[in-house]
Amino acid sequence: MNAAIALGIVALVVVATIALGLFGVRKVAMDPQEFIVGGRRIGALLLWLLLAGEIYTTFTFLGAAGWAYGKGAPAYYILCYGACAYILSFFVAPVVHRLARERGYLTGPDFFADRYGSRALGALVALLGFLMLVPYVTLQLTGLQILLHIAGYSVIDPVVAVAIGFFLVALFTFAAGLRGAAWASVAKDGLVLLGVLFAGLVLPTHFFGSPAGALDAVLRDHPNWLTIAGPGAPNGITWVVTTTILTGCGFYMWPQSMAAVYSARDEDTLRRNAVFLPLYQVMLLLVFFAGFTALEVMPGLQGSAADQSFMLVVQKYYSPSVLGFVASAGTLAALVPAAAQLLAAASIVGKNVFADYGITRSAAAQTRTTRILVLVVALLAFAFWALAKTTLVGLLLIGYNGITQLFPGVILGLAARRPPALAVGAGIIAGLVTLTAFAARGVSQLAGVNTGLVALAINAAVLGIASALARTPVREGAPAGS
Amino acid sequence: MRPTSTAIVCAVIPALALTLAVPLVNRLEPRVLGMPFVLAWIVAWVLLTPAFMWVAYRSVRG
Repeated sequence: MNAAIALGIVALVVVATIALGLFGVRKVAMDPQEFIVGGRRIGALLLWLLLAGEIYTTFTFLGAAGWAYGKGAPAYYILCYGACAYILSFFVAPVVHRLARERGYLTGPDFFADRYGSRALGALVALLGFLMLVPYVTLQLTGLQILLHIAGYSVIDPVVAVAIGFFLVALFTFAAGLRGAAWASVAKDGLVLLGVLFAGLVLPTHFFGSPAGALDAVLRDHPNWLTIAGPGAPNGITWVVTTTILTGCGFYMWPQSMAAVYSARDEDTLRRNAVFLPLYQVMLLLVFFAGFTALEVMPGLQGSAADQSFMLVVQKYYSPSVLGFVASAGTLAALVPAAAQLLAAASIVGKNVFADYGITRSAAAQTRTTRILVLVVALLAFAFWALAKTTLVGLLLIGYNGITQLFPGVILGLAARRPPALAVGAGIIAGLVTLTAFAARGVSQLAGVNTGLVALAINAAVLGIASALARTPVREGAPAGS
Repeated sequence: MRPTSTAIVCAVIPALALTLAVPLVNRLEPRVLGMPFVLAWIVAWVLLTPAFMWVAYRSVRG
């Protein structure tokens, strides 16, 4: 009965959100331009929600709390990197947007293909983005499984629940495209905000009188939990700083973030968004409070189980309807970003591999291929979910290490004199080889430094050496896409 | 629209405060509103970032 109430609320909210998304696009014709970048007519408010919608995912809702629970102060990096990314985007995003509009980019890899005059580089970047989105979509799936498992009071099979949820999101993405996802973000953000206020303020107040009381309780049992460990320690201060830099640089490299930048109405919209988006970030503080509260109320969750932290508290101490509302906020936080990520992964391969290499020729065939690829990514992420079991933050960091390898190419691509495509490609591949070598040895930190940043340095070094050897910078106005 | 020097200064200050300055403030005391000092520092700078970036925005808008 409890499970029926909680899951019933989740189902109702999901169906209503999908209906809202479809309502938002009811009169919009779906050509690739509309499907992938919302016809480039998305204004400030909807863009805010779209950018925020892709940021405030199940990672925020469960992962940040899970790290506050399982690791403590290293979780603070999550609060830092978003603000750093928005600062960077203030300068970079308007230029990228202007180039995208002038030269008609649809996807992130289009930027590389055009700016470096290389279709092959575009395809390489597309395949990298596609691969790195798999763990990110998997993160959303893992979150869904946790939420449905807890809301179902462990009576429903989590695999079945995730399969249903994922089928819904794939169907939704398939039908509504980017603008639909932006509309669904409206419902999602409202509900997530309520969920986070509940988890971050009501929970600690219930058990400890105030959020500060929860922090006092944590400090009594774990005196070092709320400050960051020393420079060489695992997840110590060096790690926090290097990870903030790495993920701050990588933030806008995601194909879905690039698509959101293209979809803006104008450059000024992007600048104003960059100014104010950090305010949204403060929500994370409440998520930390929720994680710290759970650490005291329900200690003992190990490893990836920490991601369940405050949801288990809600399940144990609150009524099924409260659990249902909190779980439905989390469910939307997984489904809506997953829709945008699926769409991004599908559209980059559909455009920069299938269309650019002439495999699909008409616009209709391209939209159809993109839709089929949505299902392919969904299935891959489902497989990855079934095989790899790691924490939500762990999954995100895998993706970030990879996607940030695009950073040198994007920044240098803004300049009038650019390095040759071969050098950019060589740098990306060197970065990926480094990451793979570290991953094969199970190393994620080198003397406290995030290995993603080490790979980024090697990437930049190879890029620099290769372009010095080639000495044939691409000039402004080089032929596009071939 | 070229970034002005005002915009760059306004961007660099919060960016440094949230990265390289964090090791310098990694302390528990003094606690602010119950938060450890390092967390209060980070929260304060995340809240201050829009103020700095607003000045940057005004400067590039001219």
